[in-house]
Amino acid sequence: MEEKTLTEKESLDLISQMIQSSKKNLEVGKNNQSLCWGYFTLALSVVIFLLTYFTQNGLWCWCWTLMFVFWAFMAKKNKRPDVVTYTDKAIGNVWKVMGFMFILTFIVSFICMYLFGTTMIQMMPLSALYVGIGVSINGILLQEKWMVYLPLISCIIAFYMLITLIAQREPTIFWHLLLGGSFIFSMIIPGHILKHKSIRES
Amino acid sequence: MKDLDPLLHSQLRLAVVSILMSVEEADFVYLKEKTNSTAGNISVQLEKLSEAGYIETNRTLDGKHTRTVCRMTDKGRKAFADYVEALKDYLNVNKKS
Repeated sequence: MEEKTLTEKESLDLISQMIQSSKKNLEVGKNNQSLCWGYFTLALSVVIFLLTYFTQNGLWCWCWTLMFVFWAFMAKKNKRPDVVTYTDKAIGNVWKVMGFMFILTFIVSFICMYLFGTTMIQMMPLSALYVGIGVSINGILLQEKWMVYLPLISCIIAFYMLITLIAQREPTIFWHLLLGGSFIFSMIIPGHILKHKSIRES
Repeated sequence: MKDLDPLLHSQLRLAVVSILMSVEEADFVYLKEKTNSTAGNISVQLEKLSEAGYIETNRTLDGKHTRTVCRMTDKGRKAFADYVEALKDYLNVNKKS
């Protein structure tokens, strides 16, 4: 493209052409992080469940803190994209808030455990809830119905866990699988739908 | 009738500004590819837009390479909106005559 002056009509055509070309930049579905997070969490939940089941040692639940290690790994692995759309920015901000809430919940739970001898078990339903809400908001931003409603199953799983805790019933080791399973609805299926759509449109 | 902003009324600068108006920020390489321009040419045009305060550029180190990320400023957004309004006026006048 040269630096030349344009007629009024050429100017409008050029503006429209450039806006359309930047709209085609649907990077959201390709290599989307939902799949990485979903499969990692599911695999981790199975590993923690099996370790706890066979050793009968509840301390294996601390392996959930590997989620922080994975977080750091993903942050380092992901390069800054060539172009950031308004939707990208909004999605990024949603996860910033959710991540912040996750860290705050962890810190508060940890302090309460230290001061009052409570457990960290509430991290499991709250994590499922935060992720479900986060993906659902992403679905609204991306106008993907499946992505809006499927994570609500994850929220229902979270409600079940919370109600169990409120009813002062003992959580079982199957909760590890429940948390991992909730990620199938909040991350894995929506991630595949998004990836499929992205491949079809490119 | 308003005059067309000479800074925007040029093919490459208008292309760059149009892209930046539709995204939050864009990398130098992305802009070069989307506008089918040469690095030297687009560099000069970005400099002009930046000097006018229409865009802001942010240079960061990405491994061994320097990355230039561009985004519109409020002044640039206003200038673009005015430019589009002026274009509409010109086209309406031409239709009527």
